This record gives sequence, C-alpha cells and structure tokens, in this order.
Amino acid sequence: MLDYIRKISWYIFSNKKRYTLIVLFLLIANVMDIIPPQLIGRTIDLINNGEMTETIMWNILLIFAAVIVLTYVVSYWWGYLLFEGAIKIESIIRSRLMRKFLLLSPGFYERSKTGDLMAKATNDLRTVNMATGFGIITLLDSTTFLLTIILVMGFTISWQLTFFALLPLPLLAIIEQRLGRMINKRHKSSQEAFGVMNDAVLEVVEGVRLTRSYVQEDAENRRFHSLTENYLNKFMKVEKLDAFFQPLTIIVVSSSIAISFGYGAVLVNNGIITVGELITFNVYLNMLIWPMFALGMLFNIMERGNASYDRIQNVLDETDDLNDIGEAVVKETNFNFNEVTFKYPTAQHNSLEDITIELNRGETLGIVGKTGSGKSTFIKQLLKIYPEGSGDLIIDGVNISSLNREKLRDKLGYVSQENILFSRTVRENIMFGKPDATEAELTEAIKLSAFDEDLARMPEGLETLVGEKGVSLSGGQKQRISIARSLIKQPDILILDDALSAVDARTETRIINHIKDNRKDKTTIIITHRLSAVHHADKIIVLENGKIVESGTHQALSNGSGWYSKQNDYFITGGES
Amino acid sequence: MKEMVKLLPYIKQYKGMFAGGILLMICMVGFELAGPLIAAAILDRHIKLGAGNIVIQPILYLIALFLTIKLLHALTSYFAQIVLVSAGTRAIQKMRLDVFKHVQNLPIRYFDNLPAGKVVARITNDTESILQLFASVIPMFMVSILTIFSIVGIVLYVHFWTGIVMLVFIPIVIIWGVLYKKYSNDNNHIKRERNSDMNAMINESINGMPIIQVFNREDQIKDEFEKINDEYYDSAKGLVKLESLTGENLANTIRSLVFAILVYIFATTFLGDTGALTVGIMYLLVDYITRFFNPLFNIISQLSIFEQARVAADKVLEMLDAEPEVKEGQTLNKFNGNISFRNVNFSYDGKRDVLKNINIDAVQGDTIALVGHTGSGKSSIINLLMRFYDPNHGAIYFDEHDTKEIDKQSLRQFMSIVLQDSFIYSGTLLYNVRLNNENITEEEALKALEDVGAAPLMARLPDGIHSELAERGATLSLGERQLISFARALAFNPKVLVLDEATSNIDSETEQLIQYAMDVVSKDRTTFIIAHRLSTIQHADQIILLENGEIKEQGNHEELIELGQNYSKMYEMQMG
Repeated sequence: MLDYIRKISWYIFSNKKRYTLIVLFLLIANVMDIIPPQLIGRTIDLINNGEMTETIMWNILLIFAAVIVLTYVVSYWWGYLLFEGAIKIESIIRSRLMRKFLLLSPGFYERSKTGDLMAKATNDLRTVNMATGFGIITLLDSTTFLLTIILVMGFTISWQLTFFALLPLPLLAIIEQRLGRMINKRHKSSQEAFGVMNDAVLEVVEGVRLTRSYVQEDAENRRFHSLTENYLNKFMKVEKLDAFFQPLTIIVVSSSIAISFGYGAVLVNNGIITVGELITFNVYLNMLIWPMFALGMLFNIMERGNASYDRIQNVLDETDDLNDIGEAVVKETNFNFNEVTFKYPTAQHNSLEDITIELNRGETLGIVGKTGSGKSTFIKQLLKIYPEGSGDLIIDGVNISSLNREKLRDKLGYVSQENILFSRTVRENIMFGKPDATEAELTEAIKLSAFDEDLARMPEGLETLVGEKGVSLSGGQKQRISIARSLIKQPDILILDDALSAVDARTETRIINHIKDNRKDKTTIIITHRLSAVHHADKIIVLENGKIVESGTHQALSNGSGWYSKQNDYFITGGES
Repeated sequence: MKEMVKLLPYIKQYKGMFAGGILLMICMVGFELAGPLIAAAILDRHIKLGAGNIVIQPILYLIALFLTIKLLHALTSYFAQIVLVSAGTRAIQKMRLDVFKHVQNLPIRYFDNLPAGKVVARITNDTESILQLFASVIPMFMVSILTIFSIVGIVLYVHFWTGIVMLVFIPIVIIWGVLYKKYSNDNNHIKRERNSDMNAMINESINGMPIIQVFNREDQIKDEFEKINDEYYDSAKGLVKLESLTGENLANTIRSLVFAILVYIFATTFLGDTGALTVGIMYLLVDYITRFFNPLFNIISQLSIFEQARVAADKVLEMLDAEPEVKEGQTLNKFNGNISFRNVNFSYDGKRDVLKNINIDAVQGDTIALVGHTGSGKSSIINLLMRFYDPNHGAIYFDEHDTKEIDKQSLRQFMSIVLQDSFIYSGTLLYNVRLNNENITEEEALKALEDVGAAPLMARLPDGIHSELAERGATLSLGERQLISFARALAFNPKVLVLDEATSNIDSETEQLIQYAMDVVSKDRTTFIIAHRLSTIQHADQIILLENGEIKEQGNHEELIELGQNYSKMYEMQMG
C-alpha cells in the first residue's frame, strides 16, 4: 500500500502546497465533524438535568451554525483539491504515455497487442486516478478521522468504554477487504462468461444468413440457452457473496452498540459518564462504520493502483530499440543492397536472405512473390524502422545506419498494405503527407491517384469526414487516399506495398500511367500480386522464402520458365490452359 | 410506466419468489426500526435513573432481545437479497431466451437497417440493465420508501413537530437530488464524450503508428493530443468543482441542519409548557433521523439506473414487438433441382424496383452465372432464391412448386450457400464444416475438406479437424476461410448451390485453389454463382448479364462473345 504512495511521491512532492492544504483542511473538517454529536449530547444532558436555558440554547445553535458553515467550506476545498489532483496526475501520465507511444518503433508494437496498450491508456489510468483520489482520501480520512474520533471518545467520554465498544469494529475492515477481493475475482469470471455470451450472440447476428441457409436456428437456440445458464450461475456466485455484506455489517455494528449500552449502563451507574455522553458515544460509533469500511477498501484500491501503475511504468521504461545516431543526409537516392539478411526480433528464421540488388535514381523496381515471401520486409528495410540485419544497405554510398532517420523519411513516400487513414477530413488525410501543401498540389495529388471522380461524389467533397464517425470508404477509395497522401510529398522514393489490390483494372492502369509519367527522374518501388502493375518496371524481382529467385524485366521473365511466367500465363488465360 | 406493465409477465412467472423476497424485505425494515426502540427503552427505564440507581440485570435481558432482533435483521436482509436476485436473474434469462429466439425468426429485412452491435446490445446489455431493475433498483426503492414512511410515522407519533420537520425535508432533499443529478449527468455526458474522443485518438495513433512515424508527423500528433487531453482535464475539473460544491458535501450540510433544528426542538420543548422529552425519546429521534437520510440519498443515486433500465426495457420490448416471419407452408419432401423465375419483380423499399421482369430457367445440374456491376441486382436474385426475401410480383418455382407455398426451412434444406466473406464460427474445424448437423459424420466432413483441397490446411493446424479456430477465423487466410465454406457446402450435399464469389482482392494462387474447390462442389448440382471475374465462368451453361435490375444479355460464353455487346466488352477489358 505504501508502495503506491512511494511511487507517486514525485507527484505529491511537486504539489507540496496542494497536499499540505488537503491535509490541513481535512483535519479541520474532522474536528468539525465531531462537534455536532457533542452538542446533541450536551443538550440532552442539560435537559435531563433541568439546566437548559434560552441563552444556552442560542449559544449551542450559534456554534452549530458556525460548524455547519465551516464544514461546508473546508469540505469543498479538500474535495476539490484532492480530486482535481487525481485527474491532473491521470492527465500527466496519459500525456507521457502518448509521447512514449510516438517514440517507440514497430518492434515494440509487434511485441504488444493494441488492446493491451489501450487498456493501459484507459483502465489502468483510471485505476491510478482512483488510487490517487479516492485512495488517498480514504487513507487520510480513515486514519485521521478514526484517530480523531477515538481520541475524542477516550478523552471526553471514557477510555474503557471506547476500548470495549470498539473491539468488534476492526472486523468490518477485514470483511470488506477479504470479501471485496473474493467478489472481485468472481466478478471477473462472471464478466468473462458474459463476454462469451455476447460473442455468441454477435456471431449469430452477423452470420444470420448462413445460420438460416443451413437451417441452424434451433441448434443455436439450444447453444444460447446453455451460455445464458453458465452466465447466470457465475452471476449468482457473485451475488451470493455480495449478499453477505449487509448482514455481516449489521451483526458487527450491533455488537458494538450492545456493548456500549451494557457497559455504558455500568459506567453511568458508577457516575463515570452521563446519559448524554452515552448518547454522544453512540452517535460516534455510527460515525466509525464508514472509515472502517474505507480501511478495508483501501488495501484493494491501493493494490490495484499499484499494479496498474507498474503496468504503465513498464511502457514508460521501454527504450527505443533503434539507436538513431545517424547524421548523414540522402541526396541522390541510389540504392545498393549488398547481401542483406534480416531476421525479425521475435522470429526464428531469416525473413530476408542474401538480398543483393542495385537501384538507381529514376528507376522502378517491381517486387512479386507469394504471400509471406518477404516482400514487405524488404521495403521495411528502407524505412529504418527495424534494427539493421547483416550485410550492407548502402544509399548514396553511405550505410543506412549512418543516415539520419528523420531526413531519410522526409524523402520517402510510403503506402502501406493496410489502409491506414485517420478520423479526419479527406483534405487533412491527404495533407498529412505535406501539411503546407498548396491547393494546386492537393488537386494534382488527387488527380494522380485517380481519386478525383470519387471525390466529386462525396457529400462534402474534400471536407468529408472519414473513419468511424464519418463516411465509410471502400477499400479502393482508402487505398487511393493513401496514395495521394504519399504523392503530395513528391517523394524521391515512392514505395507502394500492395497498394492497388482493391482498385479495379481500369483505375490501376490510370494510376500506374500517372506514376510512370510523373516520376521519370525519381525512384519507385512497387509490390504487387497483379503482374500488370509492374509490366513497365525497369527491374522485377521474384521473392521466395526471403530470397531472390528470379529477376529481370517483364519481357525477360515472362519468356522464362519460372514462377513469374507461370503466373503471367495464368493471368492471361484465366486458368484455361 | 407502460414498459413496466409489459414486463409484468416475466415477473409473474416467478411471482412466488418475488412475493417472498418482498415479504422478507418488509420484515427486514421492521427489525431494523425495532432496534432503536429497545435502545430507547434501556435509556428511559434504566440508565436515565442516574448514578447508583441502575439495575444491570434487566438491561442485559433487553440487550439480549436487541441482539436477537439484529440477528433476525441480518438474516432477513441476506435472504431477501438472495431470493430477489435469483428471481430476477431467472426472469431475465427467460426474457433473454425469448428475445434471442424472436431474433432468429425476424425477417432478414430487419437486419438490413440495424447494425449487428445494436441487435446484440438488446439481447445482452439491455436485458442486463433490466436485471438491475428487478434485482436491485426496485427492491431498494421499496425498502427505502417503506423505511422513510415508517420512520416518519413513528416520529409523528412520538413527537409531532419533529415529524413535520422531516416531512418538510423530504421534498427539499428530492429537489436537491434531482437538480444535482441533472447537472452532473449533463456534465458527465460531456466528459465521457471527450474521454471517448481521446481514447479513439490513442487507439488510432497506435494503429497508424507506422504512417505517423514514416511521415515524420510525431510532433503534430503530440500537439493535437495534448490539446484534447487538456480539454478533457478542463471538463473533468469542472465536474469535480460541481461535485464538491453540490454533491455529498451539500447533502451532509442538509443533514446537519436537521440536527440543529432538532436541538432547537429539544430545548424549546423543555423551555415550553408541554414538559421535557425523555432521554430515550431524544435518543430515538436522533437515531431515526440518522437512518432517515440514507434511504433518501439511495433513491436519488439509483434514479439514473432506473431511467437507464426504463430505456433498455423500452428497446427490448420494441424488438419483441417486431413482426416475425410467418412459419407456414407445405414441407417439400422431394426436389430434383429445377428452378425457374417467372416475371419476377422485387423492391426492398416498396418504391424502387431492384429487379424487373426476371425470367430464368435452370434445369437440374445447370450452372447459372450472374454478371453485372455493383447494384445491378445480382445479390437480390440470390436473396430471393434463398427466400431471405420474397418477390413483389411473379413467382419462383422449385420443380413445379411455387416457393411462396413452401415452408422456408424445408426449402433451404436443399440448398447450400458460400458467401463472399466466408463466415467462420467459433469452434473446431469439424464444427465449422458440419455445424450442428449430427447426420454428417466426421468421416464425411473430413472427406469434404479433402475434396475441396483443404488437406494442407488441416495438416498445418495442430489438431487437424479438431483444431479450435480463432474468432471469425482470424488466423486463417481469406483463401483458407473460403475453402472451409466450400467444404461446409459440400458436406451438406445440397441440390442447389449458391456461390457469391470473392472479389478481386486475392492473389492468383489463392484464386486457383478456390477455382478448384468451386468446380468440385458445383459438380452435378444446380449452381447459381455471382461472378466478379469472367475468367471463372466461361463454362457456365447460362451467363446472365444484369443492368439496373433487368436482364440485358443471356446465353453461354460463346453466344455472348458473338453478340459483341457489353459482356464481350467486359471480357476484353478484364483480359487486358
């Protein structure tokens, strides 16, 4: 528990004033809280002894009023300062997390699942907020308030009575902690059962045509029945524990009250305390129930906060596995791959082996081959997003490891296999490639990527929002926006990673022709499944298991007898020969 | 409240349990309120007498009575909760099964306009909200109202003016609660929206990281993120301020105010003519006022859950009210595989015809290929064939039978379908081939898989045909998912096969695999195929070219090439 406090001490120390004020206000609030029961006890005693007068009554009411006002004011301040502090730390850590995300390279993203990373940025952060706000208040409140009341009970009423009446109360903290933890565990498994049920329903709804075609309705009803039954059982297990809370609390608190009346009667009889004091004492007993619960809850909140904080810290501690110390800058963009061999950090086998190829400025390279043959891995070498493999990748006579990453990327236009667009307007998505592009450059890029006709049909043209909250685009449209995003940069090196797979043959031809005409003096690399996209390339390589198995021009390769010519024949005849 | 009435049938099925639970709750409230009465008796009969005059023995009896009552209080509280929650979960399970079954009988049309996620939410999440209502909110409301009025009743009897003060404070607390809830809900709503925008941006940035980094846009994204992070912080801060000003803090102030008034009442009663209140009565009033506020605050805190459940109930009931498909018609026992469309017109919305005057004659064993641009009506023909929809005019005949007069399920038993996006169920490979049809043996499923060329796939999976497939077949390639769909179609051994060919987005090797599987499955069966690549249908018995819902060209490949119209143009273009 203190572990957590130690971990966020940097925050508490940098907000010393805030936390000093919180403690101060909280202490004042605690003292204020104990006055009303005293006033009530005094009133009862005065009445019981027949000593009450109008003056005394107004004095008591005056004090009461002052206490109410002061309590309201200090409670507002500590509440505001504390919970505002909790959202502030959440905001600070979230910002740090995002900065880290932006810094880490693909190796990290291959190791971690998006879902896990998101959980850290959402659930774990919420837990930290909870532990820093609710957790700290519970810690301070349950300890200081508990202590204050016990001291007041002891000093103003009776130490013996306090001791005996309080004996059962620590049980509340233990019940809350133990039961809370068990419930949490069962709750998780009940949530999982709910998730399974949910997925099953989703499956049935999404596959409704299939289910009906194969006449599976009754079978699905039976399956769903057993899933709801399973969830119901797990849910009841939680409820059965949950139902213990109230009765256990009733028994523990009642025991305390019974002791206070029994032993209290003895003390009143012996003249040690008055009746009013006994009543005040009972009001205090009731006030202790909450801090006792809080104490139990505290352990669980802090434990969870601690675990969440560690999970976040793990990401923050990640170091970029690429050392970007290069200084050299690319000008001509002539490539030399010299026996490049590469293995993914988590893989067992080489993904590229002995790749040797030369590509000069103004040339177009086509890369073909089966799925998984290493095509994408090949071009990722140029992006400088993985640690280098063995062999030399020389650009303009300089080894890529000595090149400045940012400067290199400035020269690149990259259209990835996955269509990654952002939830912004079409304009913003295309200008992502070049934020200071002119209107003319934008129009040109749209024309080159053959997106002009589609754009004319969009509800709000360039200002149309894409993504989840906007219009849904077809795969082909997404691909062409991605291509426009790269073309607007007029990059020295353009890389298309299977970027025309979802456009029709006519559009593909249009785009390829534009690229041919506009990029005569620049380097272009095209990965494709459809050979028509690389007919014009100066060089074509065929990859298989990370090795170059064929290379040459379209003419040369289609006259050969390898994979390329077979694919080419199939493509022309439609598998009819 | 209309919703609540409609929920009654579900409660009625478990009325014994619900009634028992409510009875237990009433006892529970009785035991709870009896406690302070005993304490007051101890004070007034014994402790009040003061030092030296108190006899301990009878006090111990009263304490024993007090503990017994508290034990009963604890027991009734436990069983009331268990009984009510059990009854609630049972009623909800019944409701869930009803909704699920109902959804299975809704016409396909229903799913066209409602996203899958929403349908699922009705069946699982919304019913869960209603469970909250049955199992916790309504019982809590009942306990709270019962407690409040019992306390006010007793206090009015014991000391009239204190009772009046309490009655005055009930509307005050309720007005506070409603206003506070309203304001904090509005603010919470804004905060939640900001939060989800922010999380969406984090998610998108993680997924789009390669693009952000390769385009050197890290700083831009960072700045944009800082901006919405700050905005979120500001709105959360506003909420904290509101919360600290008007939340629990204010509630405590109201409570203290009542205690101050109580002191005033005690003192003025003593100073007045009516005579002082006894210690026991004063204790009783203090104790009851402490207990009086919690149920009030509870009701307020649960009001929003109540509202959510009401909305949820509304949605679920609306779904249950949707008109299901009529299940009638003769059973088709024998079917040879001859299908004809006679002057079929069809419209989804009743306004615009998507199919106009369609006539098709397919003889047993024929392959009919449907060709045309998106929106030309290819899929609608398949929808009518599977009887997901029925034609508005004209008729479809299976052999000599008008399909409108045949039971849908019995018709579908003669057909298998392979959809464009092959659907994979969670479960084993075997399950995905034979589904729940126990008539298909494991051997037959295995043979179907081998026949369509899925042997390499089975060899790759750890447990062969018994391997669990990932959700939606996530670990399988598009081609592999297609092969499984073909094996499924083959294993069911249909008279009619319906194929919606995968679009062009596959590599040529996968295409070869699928072409092979397609040939195997369609052999000797009446086959309807939606073709995207003309290369795959050159041997079809009939090629039907659709344009805007009308048949423009009809014939075999050679005939249509000779015709020299649209088909031949499309063919030339695709062949490059």
